[in-house]
Amino acid sequence: MKSREQEYKEIFIAEALEYYDALNRHISDLEKRPQDDQVLAEIFRLLHNLKANAKAIGYLHISDLSHKLETAFSLIRNKELSFSDEVVAVLFDGIDLLGDLITNIDNDSYGEPDPVLLRNLDIIVDNLSGSTIELAKVQRYNTSKNLSLSDLIYIQIKKLDHMLNLVGELMIDRDRVLSISRELDNDELKSVSSHLYRITEELQYSVMDARLVSIGSLFNKFPRIIRDIATAEGKTINLSLIGQEIQIDRNILQIITDSLLHLVRNAITHGIERPEEREKKGKSREGHVSLVARNDRDNVVIKLSDDGKGIDFKQVRKAAVEQKLVASDVAAGLSNSDLLGFLFEPGFSLAKEVTEFSGRGVGLDVVKNAIDSIGGRINIDSEKGKGTSFTMQLPTSIAVKGALLFEVADIFYAIPLIHTESVVAMETDELHEVGDVLLADVKGETITVVYLNELLNAPEETMRLGDKTKLSGLIQNIIIVSYNNRKLGLIVDKMYRQQDIVVKPLSKPLDTIDLYGGVTLLGTGKVCLVLDVPAITRYFIHRR
Amino acid sequence: MKRDKNKSIDNEGLAEPVDSAPTSSDLHEAGPSETTPNPHLPEETVHLIVFKLGAEDYAIRIEQVKEVTVTPNVTRMPRTPDFVKGVANIRGDIIAIMDLEERFGIRPVIDANSSLLTYTLVIEAKDYSIGVVVREVPQSLNLSVSKIDKTPAFLQDINIHENYIEGIAKVDNRLIIVLDMFKILTHDEISELTE
Repeated sequence: MKSREQEYKEIFIAEALEYYDALNRHISDLEKRPQDDQVLAEIFRLLHNLKANAKAIGYLHISDLSHKLETAFSLIRNKELSFSDEVVAVLFDGIDLLGDLITNIDNDSYGEPDPVLLRNLDIIVDNLSGSTIELAKVQRYNTSKNLSLSDLIYIQIKKLDHMLNLVGELMIDRDRVLSISRELDNDELKSVSSHLYRITEELQYSVMDARLVSIGSLFNKFPRIIRDIATAEGKTINLSLIGQEIQIDRNILQIITDSLLHLVRNAITHGIERPEEREKKGKSREGHVSLVARNDRDNVVIKLSDDGKGIDFKQVRKAAVEQKLVASDVAAGLSNSDLLGFLFEPGFSLAKEVTEFSGRGVGLDVVKNAIDSIGGRINIDSEKGKGTSFTMQLPTSIAVKGALLFEVADIFYAIPLIHTESVVAMETDELHEVGDVLLADVKGETITVVYLNELLNAPEETMRLGDKTKLSGLIQNIIIVSYNNRKLGLIVDKMYRQQDIVVKPLSKPLDTIDLYGGVTLLGTGKVCLVLDVPAITRYFIHRR
Repeated sequence: MKRDKNKSIDNEGLAEPVDSAPTSSDLHEAGPSETTPNPHLPEETVHLIVFKLGAEDYAIRIEQVKEVTVTPNVTRMPRTPDFVKGVANIRGDIIAIMDLEERFGIRPVIDANSSLLTYTLVIEAKDYSIGVVVREVPQSLNLSVSKIDKTPAFLQDINIHENYIEGIAKVDNRLIIVLDMFKILTHDEISELTE
């Protein structure tokens, strides 16, 4: 596979050539209608983008030339330079040279751009409306040009979505074929199906790869946004961006865009203090916000941190009781990480005033729903006076997920790995009946455990989640899942394996049942239900 | 995968074959008792799939039925309403399987002689499909539209929402309740599940 730099370079060249084509078209138009402001504005925009892109990637000849041309056109736009024949000739030459430079980026023997032409450009810019411009003759570029088409194509994301769906279907059938070929024990069939396996896998990765974009395409929008919010709030913010080159599925990035914007607004309006206040606390006047992306196994982690005032746990506790999310005696005993969970409850708010940018009743629950919908996770960490950070763990791809397969009451289930912490086997004796739940000590941490069969299949009136006699066998397999800063152990009947699954959303009218994130077909043709960890956690809390 | 507009009826394992439905409905007549009032003007007919719920005969217009198949392996879905039997894999599509007896509170008739085999009518709504389980082999029936009484007086007395009943047909001393599946699916099931 090509390196990322190589890929960026190809994208740059393709875009630059497109700009070049557009410039040629527009300047020809302009020659016919020199007064057309729209055409001028478009030329201006193209040159400006080309300059910025070339500079970013380090092609200084191109950015310098674009700059000179941009200056010339800005003079024309301001009517300081007339669009006369001589000027037109120089500009055409300049654009031709631009095309030449772009097509020869990889050609080391190309050398420097024609100095005569560059000087001509300088002359028309410097000699404003000068009557006697001495323009040197330059060699015509236009004569020996080849026509060529771009190496890149634009494709609608919809088409890639469709392809990915088809690949998903194909993978399900592939697994089925593979399992049948094992049953039939036919060597030829086995060799064909293992070949089919490899090809589908490669196809899957190719389609997934085609959908990847760099996180920078979102991150790079933030400097401007943050500046605007900070200005409105009378704060100064220093933003650092790390990991723009990390790749993620375009649709996932699209889905979290609003969430990230929401969190950033919150961080600036509620997190970061005013400069005077910061000074009093011995912090720098300037607030710091960082957006960091990194790869973690198959996932992408995006972390947003600020060095603001942090979350006031006392206030959260008070608000949770006031908003009747928890009884006051229970609230007193809750840990900080339990309290942070309330921030994601619908309607929960700590904002006392509504500003232009935040505190309008759109809570963190919206953020969490968006992240839940793509099977991701979000965690908050906060220290009073020091700052707050949000960590989002996102799948790299929507369709294919690593999942843990297991069985409860003869039904196959899967839980996406993104929600699992660990898997432990424990003797029934090690589980303790405390109140109406079971508790277990897992590596020094006390975790609430629930028998899935009881939670899913017992009649709701007679459900007993704290009754060990409901369990069968001496050893219990427990999947520790985590959601919203809280861990929960799920006891399953049979533990199977870890496997990549293609989650199919449930079709109507079942799509409104939130306990299931979807279904998948196993190689045996059996239907496997994909449990939604957020929903199962909510259901458990609600039952208790 | 989209199947074509012709309805396919799966004959596999059926005790008596069901007509594979032709779209032209002029050939088939349900029984000897049916008479055409005016032989020169062919009367408008309707093609129904008749099935049993409890002890009674119910029917759906064939246009609403995508296929009839022996009920496949159904995976139960815990914590869904009782009338949702679960989900099943029908030709690669995973669809919801419903039990209308449960839905309408119809007492099932358990016949010791009847086999364990049940049949599933796959109903195609606008943008999704749904399976309805029936106990006996569904049958096909052509009927003139005039045989269906659209507004019988007793409708208000029964426990099936009157909107779901298109009418009551009387054929050979049999009383057939004609359901409008689309209305059942669009109204009621969905709101029930969102609760």
